[in-house]
Amino acid sequence: MVAERYEGPLEQVTPYCWRIPKSYKPGMLVDGLIFANEKLMELIRQDPAPEQVANVAFLPGIQYASLAMPDIHWGYGFPIGGVCATDPTEGGVISPGGVGYDINCGVRLMRSNLFFKDVQPHLESLVHELFRNIPTGVGRGGKYHFSHGDLQNLMECGPQALKERGLADERDIRFTEAHGRLDGAKPDYVSSRALDRGYDQCGSLGAGNHFMEVQVVERICDDESARVMGLQQNMVCVMIHSGSRGLGYQVCDDALRALRNVPQQYGIELPDRQLVCAPVNSPAGESYLGAMRAAANFAWCNRQLLMWQAREVFEKVFGRSWHELGLELVYDVAHNIAKFEEHVIDGKKKHVWVHRKGATRAFPPHHPEIPSEYSEIGQPVLIPGDMGRASWVLVGQTASMEQTFGSACHGAGRVLSRHAAVRKAQGRRIDQELRAQGIVACGRSWKGLAEEQPDAYKDVDIIVDVVDKAGLAKKIARMRPIGVIKG
Amino acid sequence: MYEIFPHTADVGLRVKSPDLNSLFAESAKGFFSLIISNLHDVAPRTSVEFHIKGHDLAYLLADWLSELLFTFESRRLLLSQFDVAVGPDGLDARAQGETADETRHVLDHEIKAVTYHRLRVEQVNSDWLAEVIMDI
Repeated sequence: MVAERYEGPLEQVTPYCWRIPKSYKPGMLVDGLIFANEKLMELIRQDPAPEQVANVAFLPGIQYASLAMPDIHWGYGFPIGGVCATDPTEGGVISPGGVGYDINCGVRLMRSNLFFKDVQPHLESLVHELFRNIPTGVGRGGKYHFSHGDLQNLMECGPQALKERGLADERDIRFTEAHGRLDGAKPDYVSSRALDRGYDQCGSLGAGNHFMEVQVVERICDDESARVMGLQQNMVCVMIHSGSRGLGYQVCDDALRALRNVPQQYGIELPDRQLVCAPVNSPAGESYLGAMRAAANFAWCNRQLLMWQAREVFEKVFGRSWHELGLELVYDVAHNIAKFEEHVIDGKKKHVWVHRKGATRAFPPHHPEIPSEYSEIGQPVLIPGDMGRASWVLVGQTASMEQTFGSACHGAGRVLSRHAAVRKAQGRRIDQELRAQGIVACGRSWKGLAEEQPDAYKDVDIIVDVVDKAGLAKKIARMRPIGVIKG
Repeated sequence: MYEIFPHTADVGLRVKSPDLNSLFAESAKGFFSLIISNLHDVAPRTSVEFHIKGHDLAYLLADWLSELLFTFESRRLLLSQFDVAVGPDGLDARAQGETADETRHVLDHEIKAVTYHRLRVEQVNSDWLAEVIMDI
């Protein structure tokens, strides 16, 4: 099966926004809106992702529009890069597919007081030590093993539970979205199967597109915001991309199975089985939300432990404590999650469930949910690109609240399937090509690196440019990778 | 007979077989071929039995593959040989394989889940056809 091109309507609304009118399909309750420029739009039309934007518009209680960010691509049910908000008081639903299997997959950025010149002589050993010490790869667990009782605590309290064990500090928690804890988590709703999959996976990277990168601040676009975040040109940082591992995947899988017949019970007609959902105010909806929040808290613990292990490696390689090395968390942000948030819709304040499936929260300056240190600049938005080109740090802007329920993109977005990427890499050594660019890359397999090669992704510079120009988030710093570890 | 078909971010599995039993057995092989690239090197040292209930064939396929995924993730068990009997109320299966050993087995993809997106099990002329997309 070759992905079919989208042939439905797409009307240009602004230079950076395109509409799928709700008249496109009977059953759509709102329009679809895709944020992109003309060049990206041509790529976006080449797979069924716009059709998925239209399908999300069927969800009961959906507000304003079914939205997609510029890194949109074909997902399962929801498009990757999709955002929608539902109002529980209008029969609004919660859809596990709108969060994804990897509940609270997200990104964190840790800065240091080391600069490129300090790290370059040790880069080879630093990256190899990271690869040796940080668990990566298919189904692999790590050095932290938690009993079911301990897991309950992690799922209920997030990284706060790790602080009690000396594996997180107050600052780590303060600079994590939602302080790493969604209230209302119900660890009891998480199945024993999910616990079996997750018990040794907290503090492990996983495989696929998850990574840990050593990066250098290559270019600063806004001096003041960068200063507030403690970022300086040529400074070395660590970016971590991972989620809730097997525990979260199983929570989503369990929910999809439990919800199979629920839409029928409520007379909800859906164009794709993967969009199964339940009214927020229903036993099935509440059950999923309790388990989803628990998995989200677990994911924050996972990224905390990954960062903690990275600190230990830096201590070993540079012979100083992580405090002396200034290895401090800049921010941690989720990009697969559903959050209950206040937004102004048609001039009225409403509390809605915002689903972000491959989209990052991008709250503007003075929003009450961001740390006071960042209040004047806006919430940091961390956008990983690909392992050969760049990643970005942005901050949320006011237009995100008006146009995208406070959301921006989450990455570069794939342009080649894994299959096509491997075919393109035949006869090549991706690690050697990266080395020629000054990037040390360690992966568990040739194929894994081939599937994740830079050419498999769109150019992240183009994606963040759209986000910046559309006023969703402002560019602060371009980060260049110098070391990569992958599963 | 199974083949892998491309999906932008994930991976699809298409299986064609003359009957339902072999369709489900081939699907299982195709599924493990995504996890390990040298499936033929998995020896039949351990045997596992599965009993899965269900009437809808498409959901039965998703449940079968999800069960295999859970077996791999929780027990690190790679399975390569399958004997499946599909009945009106579900399936009974016996699978054989061994514990993953990274000195001999080349692990390839971490499958997060078996999705329902475009999931299908249908009779096409005299053959059975299944399509399923895995989240990677």
